Amino acid sequence: MADASIEFKGTSFTLSVIHLKTSVLADIRADLVKKVAQAPDFFYLVPVVVNIEKIALDLDYQAIKTLLTEFNFTFVGFTGSISKEQRNLVRELGFSFVNTAKAKVVEKTAAAAPATVEQPPEEQVENTVTPVASQLYTDKIHRGQIRSGQQVYAKEQNLVIIGSVSAGAEVIADGNIHVYGALRGRAIAGAKGHHKAQIYCQSLEAELVSINGNYWLSESMEKDWGSPAYIQLTDSELTSSKLI
Amino acid sequence: MARIIVVTSGKGGVGKTTSSAAIGLGLALKGHKVVLIDFDIGLRNLDLIMGCERRVVYDFVNVINGEATLNQALIKDKRVSSLSILPASQTRDKDALNKENVGKVLEELGKTYDYIICDSPAGIEAGAMMALYYADEAIVTTNPEVSSVRDSDRILGMLASRSRRAEQGLEPIKEHLLLTRYSPKRVEEGEMLSVEDVKDILSIPLLGVIPESQAVLKASNAGEPVILDTESDAGKAYQDVVDRLLGDTVEFRFLTAEKKGIFSRMFGG
Repeated sequence: MADASIEFKGTSFTLSVIHLKTSVLADIRADLVKKVAQAPDFFYLVPVVVNIEKIALDLDYQAIKTLLTEFNFTFVGFTGSISKEQRNLVRELGFSFVNTAKAKVVEKTAAAAPATVEQPPEEQVENTVTPVASQLYTDKIHRGQIRSGQQVYAKEQNLVIIGSVSAGAEVIADGNIHVYGALRGRAIAGAKGHHKAQIYCQSLEAELVSINGNYWLSESMEKDWGSPAYIQLTDSELTSSKLI
Repeated sequence: MARIIVVTSGKGGVGKTTSSAAIGLGLALKGHKVVLIDFDIGLRNLDLIMGCERRVVYDFVNVINGEATLNQALIKDKRVSSLSILPASQTRDKDALNKENVGKVLEELGKTYDYIICDSPAGIEAGAMMALYYADEAIVTTNPEVSSVRDSDRILGMLASRSRRAEQGLEPIKEHLLLTRYSPKRVEEGEMLSVEDVKDILSIPLLGVIPESQAVLKASNAGEPVILDTESDAGKAYQDVVDRLLGDTVEFRFLTAEKKGIFSRMFGG
């Protein structure tokens, strides 16, 4: 057996979930048109899971998949706290049922007796969907200087920059920001609301630093200006300290 | 393969055309085949600096539109036969150029010339993007002054993201810093950014430092690129730039204020 050619491993991904509130296809289509029109590039080939817990049994599952494919989504499967029979139906029709970690357990018992002992999982790898918050962020690494007018955003990541950030450039991260160089532009950490985010740099010369919506302009940075320093949020106040 | 070099800056009036003319002529004097292209459509200047404004019949836009051949539009320099100038159109605007046709013209020129020097217009709009798109190397012309440095920084960002080399994932454009209108005396007095300050902010290799000099204005008005003024500091500094472009290691001059030479600097240029 070529046992080294493939390996099955569990990895957590953040997937977009579409919550259906109706089983009327025309309504779903109309709303999809509106949504996709707002950001066609953003949704292109995005993997989606469809939550059907608010939908009755009469849903046309195949039509949902076809509809999503038509809008260039990559259909992954269905999810939601649903009854055993509905779940079986989904599987019989040949679709994946994607288990969520938390939300289920509570409603599981309320909805119906869960069928944990199902068919052996021989069809596909099951995806686990983990909620975004409280996750440890991974790092987005940018090599080279970030020039005036450029903007780098590390979505749901920390941002590591190997190089300087020029005046007039902007670096944004939902996590921390590390600049291995001079920080002369703007740095916005914890952009989606993360009060423990920090900003580190080898020389603090920033136009603006912001953590979780609290910001400082250069005049507030006098104490550690030009030094290797880090900025953090202490009791809703920004503070800076020297690194060395 | 011809080396396509764009002379760019972001900010206007920092010495792009002066530098293009001086460097182009300098390379030609060394025996290389050089063509200078004026990308500043609508604000034609290079021909004035080169002293060939009375010989412009057809221009770059005519060639792009197929109204003239390259040979009809190219003006041979009267001083050095291996140097040609492709003038800009004065009556059109920057939308007259398109990537595809500019690429064809450059390819055609590349068959004959060793160096294609593209004199970029100021700004970061279509005209400047067109001038830098096909470049292999860029001479980023900067004055020792904060706004010029910031604009150069912006252009460096464009070179790294909007050029053909960036789009096709090729080796990035080779960047050179050319500091012009440098006055060591004012640097010492703290009125001007020093070479080190600018290098620190832009962090690209230094190609040359051209001292502020009366000779530059005189040369421009006379239509004689300043590199021909071999007595002037600016002329000598441009000569060093040409040597460095050709791969020589030349020590940087004119970085410190000369106490005793002050009179010759004022009167001799």
